[in-house]
Amino acid sequence: MISDIVAIIRDYWLLLLIGQYPNGPLGGLAATLMLSVLAIAFAFPVSIALALARLSKSPFLNWPVTALVYFTRGVPLLMLILWGYFLVPLVTGANVPAFLTMLVTLVVYQGAFLSEVVRGGIVALGHGQMEAARALGHSYLGAMRYVILPQALYNVIPSIISVFVATIKDTTLGYVINVPDLTFAASQINNQLLTQPFQVFFILAAVYYVICWSLSRVAVLTERRITRRRAGTAPQPTAKSLKLAALTDQPS
Amino acid sequence: MTSFDLSEILGNPEYVSMLVLGIEMTFIVAIGSWLLAMTLALLLLGLRYAPGPAGNAFVTAYVSYHRNVPTLVQLMLWYFGIFTLMPEGLTFWLNDHNAEATFAVIGLGLCQAAYFSEDLRSGMRAVSPGQMEAARALGHGYVSAMRYVMLPQGVRNALPALINHSVSLFKNSSLAVAIGVAELTYAVKEIENLSFRTFESYLLVTVLYLVFSLMIMAGGAYIARKADPMRSGRA
Amino acid sequence: MNTTVPSNNSPMIQLKGVRKSYGLYEVLKGIDAEVARGEVVVICGPSGSGKSTLIRTVNRLEEIGSGSIVCDGNNIHQPMPARELNLLRSRIGFVFQSFNLFPHLSAIDNIAISPIRVKGVPREAAYAKATQLLERVGLADKAHAYPGQLSGGQQQRVAIARALAMEPPVMLFDEPTSALDPEMVGEVLAVMKGLAADGMTMMCVTHEMGFARDVADRVWFIDQGQIIESAPPDEFFSRPQTTRAQRFLSDLRH
Ligand SMILES: Nc1ncnc2c1ncn2[C@@H]1O[C@H](COP(=O)(O)OP(=O)(O)OP(=O)(O)O)[C@@H](O)[C@H]1O
Ligand SMILES: [Mg+2]
Repeated sequence: MISDIVAIIRDYWLLLLIGQYPNGPLGGLAATLMLSVLAIAFAFPVSIALALARLSKSPFLNWPVTALVYFTRGVPLLMLILWGYFLVPLVTGANVPAFLTMLVTLVVYQGAFLSEVVRGGIVALGHGQMEAARALGHSYLGAMRYVILPQALYNVIPSIISVFVATIKDTTLGYVINVPDLTFAASQINNQLLTQPFQVFFILAAVYYVICWSLSRVAVLTERRITRRRAGTAPQPTAKSLKLAALTDQPS
Repeated sequence: MTSFDLSEILGNPEYVSMLVLGIEMTFIVAIGSWLLAMTLALLLLGLRYAPGPAGNAFVTAYVSYHRNVPTLVQLMLWYFGIFTLMPEGLTFWLNDHNAEATFAVIGLGLCQAAYFSEDLRSGMRAVSPGQMEAARALGHGYVSAMRYVMLPQGVRNALPALINHSVSLFKNSSLAVAIGVAELTYAVKEIENLSFRTFESYLLVTVLYLVFSLMIMAGGAYIARKADPMRSGRA
Repeated sequence: MNTTVPSNNSPMIQLKGVRKSYGLYEVLKGIDAEVARGEVVVICGPSGSGKSTLIRTVNRLEEIGSGSIVCDGNNIHQPMPARELNLLRSRIGFVFQSFNLFPHLSAIDNIAISPIRVKGVPREAAYAKATQLLERVGLADKAHAYPGQLSGGQQQRVAIARALAMEPPVMLFDEPTSALDPEMVGEVLAVMKGLAADGMTMMCVTHEMGFARDVADRVWFIDQGQIIESAPPDEFFSRPQTTRAQRFLSDLRH
């Protein structure tokens, strides 16, 4: 068993790492990571905009975003990916690579999730900060930009890392539209070998585990650092903080 | 493209029966794995509080694996991997009894148990330590204090997280399509293939998922409100 | 003051050579003291002197390093099965600074649950008794309110009723009024005075010197883990023997 696993890694490590590249599109672990990094990088500004829209008093901003948030919370990502696969080419009118379709879908999906995280961070700050900033003459957006967001975003860094981990896990669903990622590479290997499915998927699970576990550790350590800097001792979880944590910490 | 027409799908008994079967299977997978997950979560929680470090270490490892490996990969490992390593008799039996759905329930249930057990643990940790002391001072034993003082509060603290995670479990039942379970996502792809009505079939199934998810959220909110004595108006 | 005749001449609480350390730091450095039946003892002393630790060792919420504590004839810190310790604890009322009411239970349920679950009292008897106790602490109208709907003073009175429901012959209080707003202190002290008048044996950590003067039979002054003065209140307040007690009292007045 172990020798099988070593042999598979020896024979296929390059495929697992970069897919068919340069003879085909970039794939494997490299594609998985690139997809995740790009998705979170785009989702981040999107999420701030969505959070501000959802906090705004204008129903024209507030309503559609609330609807979007509930939509993404209520519909499986798999379904959204199918929608993306159908709609993105319709909108762009071009033959779009699966990678790009997946990226767009992930930005929308994680952007909506992340906006709840950001909103939670802003709400958790309380009114005092905004009032103080307004009293000093800042405009609403100025207060957001220079006073509220820097604090709120700093405080939610650990949750942002959790969303990043969730994104990495979510990229696996790209298989429905044949995104050439790590999972796709493993399936290819499995199809070639045929006789060692356990070994192949074990390797796959192990790679994801190492990456996601390391990042989760980073999130925990950052969290500790932030609480230490802020208050001194780690606070007891409260019913309210648990509610927020449950949002970011989704299985996928 | 032809114009939007839902009746193309809803007027066709074959498609409707596919949808109904898909809904049925989605619920079988979701409810089955929910029950498995909750049972396991309570056992894991018990292990956390068991004396000695072994139980705690086991649960930590269990939770770590299930939270850091994508659910889809867990399912694949079960169905494509572990299934093939099982003794032949068991394999035959499972093949006769919808092995796909069985492994979907096992895979999703085991994974979700990690989340549920952590929700419960955080809920318990949010109960102030003074509660245990007060119960002990009144003469409650450990078990009695847990049963009547700590758990009711811990579970209530955990409710929002448990509800959220129940919704994601329901959504994740769609992953079962990857190992060939004929649930709702499977049905939509079939119907799309046969009818060429992509937009209509996607819309229909999306609305179905959304409605069911919102129902779980609303039901959960109702239970949470009921469980909160201060807001239920019993006082 | 207290006029009830003790039913028995042995002390209610007897502490002998009680020592306790947290790591290298010794919190209780040999406590020898007695509380007679029906006696009210007020414990005071500077912050960190070990008052809470001492009172919590009496119902074994804290373990001790050496020495012994006998309460109502029971040797509290000897090895015993958990069940027995639970029963002993149920016969020692304890009131916390932070109330620690069970927030998921209404006032009356808070009072009734332990008699039912620990002592096996039938429900009806337990609730009848709880109703009676709520009347006694002046909260008959709040029976079905939840702790979160009660003021601090009301919560603490429910907590006292909850402890009394176990019919303990002795009550311990750890700063029962120091988490309260000033206007609520009086209502809790009034309940405690009533208890003392009924002959309850009480050990009470408090800085309410008025209460000590009016109700206590004796004041223990603790400093650095030792009882360095033990005297009737008028004597303690007018002629403290040690400079540390003098400094403590003068600090308290300012
Ligand atoms: N769990 C613990 N671990 C280590 N040290 C402790 C612990 N609990 C109490 N101490 C220390 O023991 C000493 C006595 O504590 P205790 O709570 O008995 O004081 P106290 O007299 O009740 O003070 P206060 O008036 O502030 O309530 C303090 O110095 C405290 O820091
Ligand atoms: Mg104290």
